[in-house]
Amino acid sequence: MADLLSAVIQRPNFLTFVIIFLWGFYIMVTRYNLVKKLVGLYLVQTSVIYFLVSISAKRNSTAPVLLSTTEPVQAMNYANPLPHVLTLTAIVVGVATLGVGLALCAAIYRRYGSLDEEEILKKLE
Amino acid sequence: MSHHFPAILFLLPMFAAISMPVVCLKHRQWSRPISIAVLVAMVGVSILNLISVIHHGEVRYAFSGWAAPLGIEWVADGLASVILVVLSLLGLLALVFAGPASPKDLGGRIVHYYILILLLIASLVGIVFAGDLFNLFVFLEVAAISSYALIGVAGGRALFAAFRYLILGTLGASLYLLGVSYFYAASGTLNMADMAEKLPQLLTSKAVVGGLLFMFIGLGIKMALVPFHAWLPDAYTYAPESISPILASLVTKVALIGWVRIIYWVLGAKAIVYDIPVLLLVGVLGTLAAVIGAVLALSQRDIKMMFSYGGISHIGIILIGVSQGNHTGFVGGVFYLLNDAVMQAALFFLAGVAICQYGVRTVEDMGQIGKRAPWFMVALVVVALGMIGLPPTGGFFGKWYIILGALEANNYIAVAAVLLSTLLTLAYFLKIFESIFRHPATDSEILPGETPLPFKLSVGITAAAVMILGLCSDLIVQFLLNQALPPGM
Repeated sequence: MADLLSAVIQRPNFLTFVIIFLWGFYIMVTRYNLVKKLVGLYLVQTSVIYFLVSISAKRNSTAPVLLSTTEPVQAMNYANPLPHVLTLTAIVVGVATLGVGLALCAAIYRRYGSLDEEEILKKLE
Repeated sequence: MSHHFPAILFLLPMFAAISMPVVCLKHRQWSRPISIAVLVAMVGVSILNLISVIHHGEVRYAFSGWAAPLGIEWVADGLASVILVVLSLLGLLALVFAGPASPKDLGGRIVHYYILILLLIASLVGIVFAGDLFNLFVFLEVAAISSYALIGVAGGRALFAAFRYLILGTLGASLYLLGVSYFYAASGTLNMADMAEKLPQLLTSKAVVGGLLFMFIGLGIKMALVPFHAWLPDAYTYAPESISPILASLVTKVALIGWVRIIYWVLGAKAIVYDIPVLLLVGVLGTLAAVIGAVLALSQRDIKMMFSYGGISHIGIILIGVSQGNHTGFVGGVFYLLNDAVMQAALFFLAGVAICQYGVRTVEDMGQIGKRAPWFMVALVVVALGMIGLPPTGGFFGKWYIILGALEANNYIAVAAVLLSTLLTLAYFLKIFESIFRHPATDSEILPGETPLPFKLSVGITAAAVMILGLCSDLIVQFLLNQALPPGM
């Protein structure tokens, strides 16, 4: 147990990721307001993006631009650029999803006059 | 030239989708002929691609010349090529069908409508060809976003169904991305072939096990595997009649292909995680899906709802075949997947005709169509034979090979599940036929106008394809055995 605890405390980035992920998931499950559900969903997506960025972080390293062209490349000196690129794509995907989600919310509001899931379900009956 | 076919297949619909707002700015009515022309070209290129793969072996396409582990790679092997032919044919038929069946109040948005359909088809091509895990994620999301929008087009209940699909689908995609980042953290690569070499030593790593779990749940949501299927029936039932055929026949099946790729091409068929063989897990999930989906289908009154649950149960049958771990089962599963794509398209075409042409939505009212449209009844009987799995149709041979594979693996529970699901399928089609023959049309109904030719074309061709796939089953199964088996099996 103590081992597990110390392992968690030594990795604050994973702990933060888990907290944001579960927080977003909690909002998605418990709130009836559709926009709040979308906020929870966006938190979940953001937590995954945060995780991707945090695994590429490295102490005493810099952006992956070659410091010198004559010396051999030292991988230790550079942060891994690939997760950042993945993150950019994932952010774009997330924003697009959020946009479609908000558009659907707006259309639902115009049609049913409410954003509350229970009220809409009542009107659907 | 021939090694560029995968890129051409993707760029055709993608380029058409992007350029359509400009081309059709003044002439909205052009959007439909342009889309159909693009799909006809895709059918041609996909057949050429299949022929070139048969003669010259698989093509590994490296984008902008960056070789595999560093660059983005697309893999056009036997499996992908044969699925691409079915995909572009069904896409073409769905577009033909979409003309008279699309929602009446689209107005000026008809251009957007065809843009979204083309984007959906382009992203499905991307999923089938994707050679690395992150690419798969991006195309899954493009497909998902365009389907949310397309489902929501109908308005009313469809809006809410689309919103639910969006919440669940995006959650699934996030979980899949999380799984991919776990895999990346453990192995340092995203390319499937590269990862397949590095994973066997890492199978005890907690990161890989956790990542595998997240990936499976994520893709499970995307392909509506039984515990995660809640979004599918509503979304497909309330979607516009012109959209549900393409969604039902292609989107879930293509996500399933992604799963098969990860299990066989990345993990390897014999992967064992914490004493549990991965294939056993897949088999159990498939068995549950095959039976539960069919039971739920039996209790539905709405025809589109019933066919949606039928599709869920057939996902289970495909998984049973794929998970047997021998050649017969795998080939049976893939062959059944091709058949199921055709049959689902045919069923939703029929449902679309029933709704648009005759205003019939429930099983009880199906009797009203009976005498008025003999061609409709013939097509329905043929497709029903395929869904149940009776001999001359492709559905029979798919199930036959799946059962042979399960017997070869001494997996009698899987055999029982396939048979039980077959019986339940028979039962829910009997419900439809009973209402047709028990309650013949009453004369007081208003007679509908002439059926548009696109309806007859798409229903007729898919129903014929159900038969043709059965007649050519030997040829296709031999091809799959020779060209589409995963490495190391």
